[in-house]
Amino acid sequence: MQNNRIQMIQFEINYTTNEVNNYMRMLYQVGDIYNKNILLNHLWEKVNYLGYLNQLMTTYIPQSQLPQKPSPTVPNITVPNKTFTKEELAKVTGKNGNPAYIAVNGVVYDVTNNAAWAAATHFGLSAGNDLTQEFKSCHPSGQRILDQLSVVGRLVL
Amino acid sequence: MTELVYSNSLMAAEGERAIQKLMDLVNSDEEFILAVEGAIATKNDGLFNIIGRWQGEPLTALKAAKMLGEKAMHIIAVGACATHGGFSAAKPNPSGSVGLQTILPDKKVIKLPGCPTHPDWFLGTLASLLMYGEIELDRRDRPLLFYSTTIHDRCPRRTYFNQGIFAKKLGEKTCLFKLGCRGPVTRTDCPTRQWDGYVNWPIGADTPCIGCAQFGFPDQMSPFISFDTTEES
Repeated sequence: MQNNRIQMIQFEINYTTNEVNNYMRMLYQVGDIYNKNILLNHLWEKVNYLGYLNQLMTTYIPQSQLPQKPSPTVPNITVPNKTFTKEELAKVTGKNGNPAYIAVNGVVYDVTNNAAWAAATHFGLSAGNDLTQEFKSCHPSGQRILDQLSVVGRLVL
Repeated sequence: MTELVYSNSLMAAEGERAIQKLMDLVNSDEEFILAVEGAIATKNDGLFNIIGRWQGEPLTALKAAKMLGEKAMHIIAVGACATHGGFSAAKPNPSGSVGLQTILPDKKVIKLPGCPTHPDWFLGTLASLLMYGEIELDRRDRPLLFYSTTIHDRCPRRTYFNQGIFAKKLGEKTCLFKLGCRGPVTRTDCPTRQWDGYVNWPIGADTPCIGCAQFGFPDQMSPFISFDTTEES
């Protein structure tokens, strides 16, 4: 029943859009002001009708099915001023008493005591590297994971 | 309750007579559960892994897995090699070995990773299938009954980790994290179930977990032990 209504409204919207297009083409053709005004009036009506249909549609579609604008997540991290070059990062591998740092999306994180980074390795990856691509391929929506790590600085290229 | 039709190490028949049992099963309308141990070699039409001979020709694991997998009621991949390739698929993988799911992409394959799989994990899964017709699985098709928590979650030495008290060498009775323990990334019930007739387990023997029941083992779980490790906190 509800789907039928939505289909009917969609049909009306398509039909009205075609009418609007047609009126606009006619506007280019007619010369005298009288006919132009009549067409403009028709256009006003049709546009109002489209607005009405749009409103009707939203009352029939449950809120949950409406396209949601994704709320932008602003990572709330303060990055220390310290910067690392690739060469400097390559030294903090977690070997021989060094801390274990990794870089993701230009931010350097400390994984020295992260449980998933035993002996500064994680699923065949080693600390001291820029792992942006690897992180993306395994944790595509993984900001939550990054939020739990302590930030050490920025990676400069 | 069960009839063991074919098991290369447990059955009495041998040679083509043993394979005959498999062929009879495939050509009958019997319902059966297929449990596969070992990886499937794919190079050279699977000739790297021959499970027997049939009518004078070698029968490859590749051919047998496809043939039986298409008809099986339930499919269980037992052990690291059958679930994801395991040691057989370790670099450089000259035989092109893969896990069972790669050979049967459209089938539901219950996965029991582990090198080896704990006998309870296999028999418990089998018993659940026989009694209830199903078993609850996680996103990666592992039975939740056995694979729901990480070793780290239930580790009796967890307080040492939380306090930052780490073993520097094997045999120390504290947290083995700095030596490369894979407990935090491995999901099994080892800490509570234990091994060898419920006697002990790696951590209990003061040696790190090597992640044998995690996908990607062994390559992705290496190195198994590290001594030149991170700074003290």
